[in-house]
Amino acid sequence: MPGPVTPRRRPRRPAVRATALGAALAALLAPSLTACGGNSSGAAGNSTLKWATSSFPAHWDPVVGGSGAQFRALALTYASLTRVNEKGDAVPDLAESWKYNAEGDQVTFRVRSGLKFSDGEPVNAAAVKAAVERAKKQKNSALFGDLTSIRSVEAKGQDAVVHLTQVDYQIPQLLGERVLQIASPKAARKPAALDQNPVGAGPFTVTQVIPGTKAVLKKNPDYWDAKNIHIDKVELTSAPDASTVVSGLRTGVYNFADIDPRQAGEAKKAGLDVFVQPGYNAANISLNVNKAPFDDDKVVDAVRYAVNREEFVDKLTFGYGKSTDQPFPPGYIAYDPGSAEKYPYDPAASRKLLAKAGYQPGELKLKLVIPAEDPAAEIVQSQLAKVGIKVTIKIDKNWATPFFAKDLAFSLYSTTGRDSAVQTLTAHFGPDGPLNLSSPYQPSGFPRAVAEARRTPIDDPRYAAKLRAATRAGLDTKALVFTYSSPNLFAKSSRISALPKNPAHLNWTGVTVGGS
Amino acid sequence: MSVHRRLWSLASGRSALIVLALVALLALLGPLLAPQDPLAQSGNTLAGPSGAHWLGTDYLGRDVFSRLLDGSRVSVLGALEVTLTALVTGAVPGILSVHLGRVFEWVTLRLTDTLVALPFLLFAVAVIALLGNGLTQAMLVTGVLVSPLFYRVSRAATLAVARSPYVEAALLSGASLGWIVRHHVWTKVLPPLAIALAQTLGTGFVIVSSLTFLGIGVQPPEPTWGGLLASDLGYLGHQPWAPVPPALLITGTVLAANLLADAIRDVSGEAGHSVARRPAPPGKTPAAPAGGAR
Repeated sequence: MPGPVTPRRRPRRPAVRATALGAALAALLAPSLTACGGNSSGAAGNSTLKWATSSFPAHWDPVVGGSGAQFRALALTYASLTRVNEKGDAVPDLAESWKYNAEGDQVTFRVRSGLKFSDGEPVNAAAVKAAVERAKKQKNSALFGDLTSIRSVEAKGQDAVVHLTQVDYQIPQLLGERVLQIASPKAARKPAALDQNPVGAGPFTVTQVIPGTKAVLKKNPDYWDAKNIHIDKVELTSAPDASTVVSGLRTGVYNFADIDPRQAGEAKKAGLDVFVQPGYNAANISLNVNKAPFDDDKVVDAVRYAVNREEFVDKLTFGYGKSTDQPFPPGYIAYDPGSAEKYPYDPAASRKLLAKAGYQPGELKLKLVIPAEDPAAEIVQSQLAKVGIKVTIKIDKNWATPFFAKDLAFSLYSTTGRDSAVQTLTAHFGPDGPLNLSSPYQPSGFPRAVAEARRTPIDDPRYAAKLRAATRAGLDTKALVFTYSSPNLFAKSSRISALPKNPAHLNWTGVTVGGS
Repeated sequence: MSVHRRLWSLASGRSALIVLALVALLALLGPLLAPQDPLAQSGNTLAGPSGAHWLGTDYLGRDVFSRLLDGSRVSVLGALEVTLTALVTGAVPGILSVHLGRVFEWVTLRLTDTLVALPFLLFAVAVIALLGNGLTQAMLVTGVLVSPLFYRVSRAATLAVARSPYVEAALLSGASLGWIVRHHVWTKVLPPLAIALAQTLGTGFVIVSSLTFLGIGVQPPEPTWGGLLASDLGYLGHQPWAPVPPALLITGTVLAANLLADAIRDVSGEAGHSVARRPAPPGKTPAAPAGGAR
């Protein structure tokens, strides 16, 4: 079962290419057709957000969708117990406050009173309990692996008492938009229907969903912070080919879009506001140490030394990215400077290790399995060729199944990170981590180090050091070679005001469109 | 004047043959003619045309001209595979449907009707999804789907010949079916088949280019004309001219194939016309002059 994963943004080209022509035609025809109907997009008022996204939700049930990039779209209609502020700290959302017990193994969230879901159901602790239990138990849940610290939830009116399996001060950060967007319990009784017709208590309610293509949402007057939502309507569109997004923005088909770094220059030239939303993105080369040849440490180390991270940054991010050798970019609280450059680019060392492992140049052949065309794969192929490893790239449209079943030996992955740093670490290095291709393998010191980090309150002065120690322990893994961090890059019309810089999130609170 | 000479005497035929011969040469010698390793990456990405890189470099710093030359083989072989598969699976049953009795005729006609109803590009994508990402299987299936054209052309021509008195005479004289097909039918079926062949070659190029444009059928980093076009479109802001060379190659080749089909049609029309001017024996049907062309 695919875990709480992040779809790779880059390798979507083949899938979207097929729709490019249709989308271009639609873009051309849309104005005339809507004009014929007497309901042009302008008629919706100036406060219409027209957002083209490359992560259009395949699932509108947050339990099925998981923690990937599509959570940003789902956050339009679902609210969570918490959200993050500009520092990345958890702040109140549906929960107005929370409190840990003295032992740190129980946390009580006080849910705001008087709120209701868009189907009229009350927002209360019972809804929180139902949401957690569904995420833990629903057959197709992509979130159950993230909730292992939660034993049970007790509903006491507006108080949701979360009983934990261990001391874990990450829970308020964990139960934010990525992991616990809360759906109406009544609607969630029919998960299949919810998957196409979302019912939440977020800032907007969905009025129309065209699966895989478009969703229309209107402002939710019952949202707890409705007074600070200044957008009346949202038209969320699945972005066509990257090369046409800027044209769409320029011509007003969209006024907001996530863009590829290679389009940034064109967008700037077109007079659009191009901005980077801070985030935790990190790409990696995933190795399976349970399969040959990666069951030989020398081969793993040879791959590590063969990787030139700067080449990924130069060729793929157009100056917007950074190289990284950890599951987040440098500067993040959990980034361990002491572990930086542990395996620098050293092709000579790589060749020596391969020779020690018994491989002559060209003798070691690997199959790199990826879901779609990806220039990063071609860079990996070229870099490994330089040390004598012959890589064949295989595109498997059904890649997710063998990847999350840990059946692949060699692949690529990219994450947008998690709000909880510990969740990021366990997802990559933990024995059941969805991004650990070598499950159940984990570095020997990791369980103790990560438990220490969990046990440390976030406001404790030792928290950062504990986190970095857990990162250091995790980086002893032989299963992952981190490469680069791509930016969360967006382009918008200048008529849309600046967004809060909440890392990895898109928060529409206070944002205005066209001076509304 | 021989057919070849008449084809060459037409401007359209001559230019089509020259273009197709050049493309065939590229397919045969392209990898040898490539000035640089088409897979070698460099730090010089998205560079404009220069003495070192005639058509610039791509997003990974590879020489575009070398990749274009190297990619010719896949495109040409794919188009040829479609054409030959369609010829074999269409023309043979088309000819035999006239001679092998009503059951065979009925079955092949229904099968042909079914194949015509299937959209071949979509079907090729489905086959690749089923059998794995390979151009060979996709082109084989596409060839079968295009085969109704050959079936109908060859069947129509065979029908016209089969009822002619000299075939009846041959049958009465004890000639075998194989002998009749070889000596009477094949020569009459050849001109329309040649037109269909040239036409299908053009279609084959379009299909190969479409599939490779979508990233289907080949594994990266193997270059193809369609693949180059697709990747160039992603960098239009950096190299707006970049899609022009692969697009020109694709359209030029398809145009040449279609021109060749037109020229063959014109030449065969001339042949038929010149024969028709001969005094026809009394009582001959309109189909008979073609039968008496030799």
